[in-house]
Amino acid sequence: MRRATVLGALAALAVALTAACAPSVPGSSQPTGGSGAPAEAGRLTIGTTADVVNYNPLVGNSRTDSWVTSLMYPHLTQMDGAGKRVPYLATEWSYSDDGKTATVKLRDDMKWSDGRPVTADDVVFSVTAVQKEKFGVVAGLITALDKAKAVSPTEVEFALSRPDGTFLDNVGFWLPIVPKHVFEKAPSVQKFANDSDWVSAGPFKLTKVERGQRYIMERVDDFGPGKPVIKEVVFRVFPDVNTEVLALRNGEIDLIGNVLPPATAAELKTDPKVKLQQIPSLGWAHLQYNTKRKPLDDVRVRRALAHAVDYEAIRKIALKGYAKSSNSSVLTPSLPDYADLAAKEYAFDPEQSKKLLAEAGVSNLSLNMIYDQADPNIARWAPMVRDAAKKAGITIKLQGLERNTYLDKTTKRDFDIYAGSWAVMDNPPANLGLAFKTGGFINYAQVSDPKLDDLIDQGQRALTQEEAKKPIQEAARIIHDQVYDNVLYVETFNIAHSTKWTGFKPMPSELLSILNPLSLAAAKPAG
Amino acid sequence: MRFIGIRLARGLLTLWFAVTVTFFLVRLLPGDPVLAVADPNMTEELRQKLLADFGLDQPLGVQYLNYLGQLLQGNLGMSFRQSVPVTTVLMERLPWTLILTISAMVVTIALGIPLGVLAATRAKGWMDRVIQLTGVTAQSLFVPSVGIFLMYVLGVWLGWFPIGGAVDLDATGFAATLSMLHHLVLPCLSLVLIQLGGYVLTMRTTLIDALGEDYVSLAKAKGVKPGKVVWKHALRNALLPTTTIAGLQLGTLVGGAVLTETIYAYPGIGRAVFEAVGQLDFPVLQGAFVLLAAAVVVANLLTDVAYGILDPRVRTS
Repeated sequence: MRRATVLGALAALAVALTAACAPSVPGSSQPTGGSGAPAEAGRLTIGTTADVVNYNPLVGNSRTDSWVTSLMYPHLTQMDGAGKRVPYLATEWSYSDDGKTATVKLRDDMKWSDGRPVTADDVVFSVTAVQKEKFGVVAGLITALDKAKAVSPTEVEFALSRPDGTFLDNVGFWLPIVPKHVFEKAPSVQKFANDSDWVSAGPFKLTKVERGQRYIMERVDDFGPGKPVIKEVVFRVFPDVNTEVLALRNGEIDLIGNVLPPATAAELKTDPKVKLQQIPSLGWAHLQYNTKRKPLDDVRVRRALAHAVDYEAIRKIALKGYAKSSNSSVLTPSLPDYADLAAKEYAFDPEQSKKLLAEAGVSNLSLNMIYDQADPNIARWAPMVRDAAKKAGITIKLQGLERNTYLDKTTKRDFDIYAGSWAVMDNPPANLGLAFKTGGFINYAQVSDPKLDDLIDQGQRALTQEEAKKPIQEAARIIHDQVYDNVLYVETFNIAHSTKWTGFKPMPSELLSILNPLSLAAAKPAG
Repeated sequence: MRFIGIRLARGLLTLWFAVTVTFFLVRLLPGDPVLAVADPNMTEELRQKLLADFGLDQPLGVQYLNYLGQLLQGNLGMSFRQSVPVTTVLMERLPWTLILTISAMVVTIALGIPLGVLAATRAKGWMDRVIQLTGVTAQSLFVPSVGIFLMYVLGVWLGWFPIGGAVDLDATGFAATLSMLHHLVLPCLSLVLIQLGGYVLTMRTTLIDALGEDYVSLAKAKGVKPGKVVWKHALRNALLPTTTIAGLQLGTLVGGAVLTETIYAYPGIGRAVFEAVGQLDFPVLQGAFVLLAAAVVVANLLTDVAYGILDPRVRTS
């Protein structure tokens, strides 16, 4: 009796607290928003984890910014499921025989939201602004560009200072096209905030922003590649994936933009209201060894480390099986046109490690390993790397760092082992150049190998993929044999959406995923 | 008048101190703000240009003086990341933080005082124990865990409340107000939970003390009704420490708001602070802290004044 009274009092207290917080809770107990009601069937609500930081697509480099801005500003090309470039604003693209001129033809039915047509002038303006002011991702990718010129309203010619077979892929994939007549009024394109009165040309236009809450985008009826089915796309801001999952299960959102952590995906798999789409990653998770530090400058030591990782266990346990082996190669199965079928993964073999270390005359090897502690996958496998290495007699000290500290140490190359992942490696010749050529921007391992430099150069000069394949595969073999990079796996991304929707066009990477412009333009209610 | 003047001067000193500490503290954050803005692909030339744009190429002392000068003119600077004035960034967020913190404070006081009285008048009884235990437990809860728990149980399971956000997209007019309150419940509840214990326990202790005072015995002896003795005689005296707590708790409330707003995707200043830390957006961080420090200083000033009204002895001391 007494206990019952206590419990009753506690319950009453809880109710009182809840009620007191909201003097007038609405009568309806139905969770609102989302796409539940028929009147809202034309609205797709997407969960994102950050506000749009910069509306200038040439500057904004975060994934979450791109999700919104890529619906507003077209790119020349998109990618299909196998990583091949497909037309978007561009219909055709090619190089001249000497490789020093690149030509792109544009579709003629794209319009800016103020009614003006999207023309070659806009493309020339966008690329020239980046070239002149040197900012954003694209600046580092167009070093071969001499001058861009509009030949006609639907044709652009890029004069290159050297043959560069990566140029069109890079520009097509990474450069957002902005309206010249709006952006040219800013004294500096880089500093132009573009935070209101947007003039855009994607399948949806941004009509309303409630910072910290949501971004509302309306359908563009005369969108060139075809009128989108969905009337309205709303991005809602959440603090993290966990909260997004609650909102998806609650019917408040229809799609989670962010990739699900493998454990969450495994949990959601059985939810009948949720569909998981599997999307290949364009990047890979890896360990890089600082080749400028002793004894990591000795390839035998690096090989010993490569043999001291239990790759399969990492994929099965930490990634719950949502990962593929890349056979220790930087040419991953996500880009089948380049992948090297002969590559073989380093075997987990502590005895072999010990032997290699003895050969190198190294004993009591102790190294630090830095990683971003906020990355849920790496936080799970970092201890596995440490424990496996211990079996080979190698001590690895884990340093899980706050993100900015981690980035800082990475740029300063202040580590023995770097654990991380590349997000988007869309074009091997270009990417290998940045990551493994002497002095490359993201050459974290500080590789400096003249033969490798030469092969990557050959790959970049090649004007077709067929021609680039041989030197690039050869380069990848050197990277594998010298352990300039130790690729652990290629993640299979899980993207969750409500079963109420269908028709998405998945593209590789978290950047494009199923919320790329062509996919959202094609999405429709199920049934 | 002199009393208020001294308090005001102290408030300004506190504010200057907060500004200074914040200024140097954000610059101690590891990492490179330029790197957080641009991508690591940038050239050294661009890096230098950005540093100069942000004024970060100047010696620290010069940066500090420039900042103080700017601040005196009411200019909080430009956000590194968003290329818009910090004032704009903060003003968009301020109303939400005010709604959340004020409602949490009102609810906490409205519940804390009666519960404290209830516990004190039934000291050592079972009701007292339950209230104390609940108060202490709630106080030691970790906001993010509470947040996820409440959203899961009351949001997903029971479907009573929305998951995060501040107001429904389609709600207009009166419906928008209702929707706002609907979204406010869970974040408000979380803040109330972690704060309530402090009020209840202080109220309880001071009231028990007050109830043992001679004037209470005298009132009882005169035949004043027990309820009146508690609510009219003892409570007014016992309220003094609680007033102090209210002032002090505002600091905790503001801190709690950062976590609460983040977990519930509530679009207030706390969330802006959380985002700005990750982006190393110094001007936004500084601006937010100046604003929050000012709020705490003002609240303390009001507490002091209220104290003076409640207890005339303070004015003369």
